[in-house]
Amino acid sequence: MARAVSPRRKWSFTVLAWIVALLLFFPILWTILTSFKTEGDAILFPPAFLPPHWTLENFVEVQDRSNYFKHFFNSVVISIGSTLLGLVITVPAAWSMAFSPTKRTKDILMWMLSTKMMPAVGVLVPIYLIFKSLNLLDSLFGLTIILMLINLPIMVWMLYTYFREIPVDILEASRMDGAVLWKEIVYVLLPMAIPGIASTMLLNIILAWNEAFWTLNLTAANAAPLTAFIASYSSPEGLFWAKLSAASTLAIAPILVIGWFSQKQLVRGMTFGAVK
Amino acid sequence: MMAHATRRRLPIQAVAGTVPMILVSVGVFIIGIGASVLWSFTSSKLFPAYDFVGLQQYRRLWADARWLISVNNIWIFGLLSIACNMVFGYLLAVFMDQRIRQEDTFRSIFLYPFAMSLIVTGLVWQWALDPNLGLQQTVRNWGWTDFSFAPLVDAKTAIYGLVVAGIWQGSGVTMAILLAGLRGVDAEIWKAARVDGIPTWRTHLFIVAPMMRGAFATAFVLQCVAVVRVYDLVIAMTGGGPGIATTMPAVYVIQMITVRQNVGQGMAGATMMLLPILLVLALGGILAWRRKRKGVAA
Repeated sequence: MARAVSPRRKWSFTVLAWIVALLLFFPILWTILTSFKTEGDAILFPPAFLPPHWTLENFVEVQDRSNYFKHFFNSVVISIGSTLLGLVITVPAAWSMAFSPTKRTKDILMWMLSTKMMPAVGVLVPIYLIFKSLNLLDSLFGLTIILMLINLPIMVWMLYTYFREIPVDILEASRMDGAVLWKEIVYVLLPMAIPGIASTMLLNIILAWNEAFWTLNLTAANAAPLTAFIASYSSPEGLFWAKLSAASTLAIAPILVIGWFSQKQLVRGMTFGAVK
Repeated sequence: MMAHATRRRLPIQAVAGTVPMILVSVGVFIIGIGASVLWSFTSSKLFPAYDFVGLQQYRRLWADARWLISVNNIWIFGLLSIACNMVFGYLLAVFMDQRIRQEDTFRSIFLYPFAMSLIVTGLVWQWALDPNLGLQQTVRNWGWTDFSFAPLVDAKTAIYGLVVAGIWQGSGVTMAILLAGLRGVDAEIWKAARVDGIPTWRTHLFIVAPMMRGAFATAFVLQCVAVVRVYDLVIAMTGGGPGIATTMPAVYVIQMITVRQNVGQGMAGATMMLLPILLVLALGGILAWRRKRKGVAA
């Protein structure tokens, strides 16, 4: 709705928006600032907003003590790996659902999406046993597979909604001109589908990056990604706030950067395509 | 949708495209869930066994105080966080709809909590609600010395600490969904309501909000999914404590399987968690089937 808003009111709204945004962002900001404080300054009273002595020692120590970059690397491998693997399965599926739908297509899609709503504990034990017998526990490969599996429904749904926006006439025109199937896909469909595929990948990478249920329950020291690593850091050593903040900051930094530049795609993905 | 279906090439290609997807979903979910439900009727201990004991595990489950607390907690957490998220999300959306400057910046910031790992969210709020480091001490330091806000240390209030984190995490994304819904409402409605002299809040409550049913439904489903799955937030923020005060069904099942090595009872808990969703799905399926039949008859 395009209601006329007076400039003064608009200005006061902007100020209020900044206050709300700051309140919401404050916990994140505080974590980032704390990561640059010394342990002593982190629990100082009254709390110092800006670090009195800027330091990078927390980051160094987190790396030294627990080989942080190994877990960071694990996170990168499983989130990108599961996304690429997922695309191999979901692109053909979404493609055929979008361009040759049958009576059952909508039902199948809704059914797939509904599996995403199932609580993961319902399938944990069977999967744990399968992984155990295949020697996949605490392995990057196994984790990549499972993250791909749990995000398949969202991927196929997202790709489907994007593919549906591609006018089918263009594909038919290319077919009239004698394009064979693979040419039609490579030269006509893909260029138009790239933005959709890119947003789907982005969303999936973030979801896999944040996934904690499976990573906590299927990994130990070896394949643990950042989420599992940080969770292990938390309870017994709860007093090392600066180091914990440093570990957290490194874990959320990629999300903050990606989120800033791809906010529209994120909204669309996180709302299952409900917000365009 | 049907317009797409008119002309197509060999359906074999369509089938070939969907088959791997369906196989994978069926393989994992149906078989996995089926096995879990099956084991819930057995006396499985550390490993699944196949000596069936009927409903015994369910009887034990519902006699377990820990499970009852979990169920109670998920109701409190779910109802409170969903209700608050809806209210805050709607207020934020109305507020963002005023065409404030740099809307995209604000949308990014409001969405950050939702894009972050719940593990980090849990840790950050564990710190913020720590009586000696966080909010309470800060406010006391400003001079309000008997200010008290440390829900996590008291077993009675710890669940509300989780609710606070849940609201922080979910209100931004609710806002984004409701904002899209709000933008879809015809501008004429506002003019008509103003001409009729209806106060703004009543226009919102009785005219605009009901028109946004779709957006509210989406937000609601999204939140329900998050609530049923809540696990990592609890692990990072309270670990289920103090004591067992903030344990949740998912946490309970995991503990049953790992610490107490009682797969049968754990699976009974997991089945109870699946039940509401299966019921909703079945209901949806029946409704769709009836609608289809009516369509054919007419």
